Amino acid sequence: MAKAAAHCRAAGKARVSAGFFFAALATLCLSGCISFPQSEALREKPPAGLPPHVELTEVPFHLQDDYLCGPASLAMVFNAAGISSATVESVKPMVYLPGREGSLQAEMLGATRRTGLVAYTPAPQLEDVLREVAAGTPVVVLLNLAFKWVPVWHYAVIVGYDLEKHQVIVRSAKRPRDEWRFEFLEYFWQESGYWSMLALPPGRVPATAREQDFAAAVAALEQAGRPSEARESYRALLERWPTDLVGLIGLGNVEYALKDVPAAERAFRRASEAHPQSAVAFNNLANVLATLGRLAEAETAARAAVALEGPTLPEARKTLDAIIALRAAPR
Amino acid sequence: MNASFVRFLSRLLIVCLIGLPFQVNAGMIGTDQVVSAAQAQAARAAVLSQLSRAEVAGQLQSLGVTAQNAQDRVAALTDSEVAKLAGQIDSLPAGASSTGAILLIIVIGVLIWWAIKK
Repeated sequence: MAKAAAHCRAAGKARVSAGFFFAALATLCLSGCISFPQSEALREKPPAGLPPHVELTEVPFHLQDDYLCGPASLAMVFNAAGISSATVESVKPMVYLPGREGSLQAEMLGATRRTGLVAYTPAPQLEDVLREVAAGTPVVVLLNLAFKWVPVWHYAVIVGYDLEKHQVIVRSAKRPRDEWRFEFLEYFWQESGYWSMLALPPGRVPATAREQDFAAAVAALEQAGRPSEARESYRALLERWPTDLVGLIGLGNVEYALKDVPAAERAFRRASEAHPQSAVAFNNLANVLATLGRLAEAETAARAAVALEGPTLPEARKTLDAIIALRAAPR
Repeated sequence: MNASFVRFLSRLLIVCLIGLPFQVNAGMIGTDQVVSAAQAQAARAAVLSQLSRAEVAGQLQSLGVTAQNAQDRVAALTDSEVAKLAGQIDSLPAGASSTGAILLIIVIGVLIWWAIKK
């Protein structure tokens, strides 16, 4: 569902939607073809370890004017992540698409990275969203307020929940604090494939983080040109999962980019020890050693990278050739 | 040789000399290749990604984003996000029909309401 653009004008008609919701619900319940598995699961068996009531009152509210629910939602979660200067106006040029009168999901993630925060998409589960809120992170959700065949997309920010009342607390459209039943959220949320996103300050690991997905999220921040923020998050990732390959290579690459060559060497060495089959680890270690002028060690590492073959073999060959040329050159 | 050219030349040399220790940089393999290693041949993916990025940036421009801003926005996306967007920005389900959609919701809502009451 990366294709959805969200339209906020619809959110202003929340009352219409609510009226429609209950009408549709009544119809569908009568016909017996609607269920709310996630809400029901939460009602039957409240998740272990979740406090019964959480509300992140410190998350500010930004008014979601027509079509601007994307920038407004991001401004709220950016503020909560410590970027106090973020406003609807400052975020709009990073994410709003005039020709679509909305904001695309991918660009919501991109704008988060450009702000120096890790953009992470939790699993499509209400329970995971509640766990993130309980850990202090507000969650942006994508809703379809209409139908599959005439979607009206809308972003809202979940800032709290109440397990006893079976409600989430939401900042949406022109309303700084709404209480929605779990079923209400689930109904409008399903069309987006239960899509949600977090904007995490550097160094913070999501409560429901999955190793591979979080590593990819940090790598995306690095790729977006924020090496020093990515460095903090790589370190946090490696504290949790000390041998993660993406984390070790990524940390080495950002240390190198930030010109801390000895730290880069340590990271790549760890990577080559934990993953002796990784040609990238040896290739990058070889480059770092060459930068440090330790050409004999560099050549050994480069030969190891070439011996491992794999898709990066052309780069490994180039590295080895360059090091051999450097060693042959008169000093 | 005039003075400003000499100044320019010396600045150029300074930059080159500072960059020298990092000239092996060209051989470093990026983190993204490790991330995508499981998915496909990284080199082929990288070429395709460049094409898709140019395509998506062009589409953003045609939808009202300035050229420089479009470049910056695309640069913040991952390869897989770019691949999903390429060629699909225009055919996104929401379109410019939001007012029409709301009218439709009201009409259908009224119809359903009427059907239930009957």
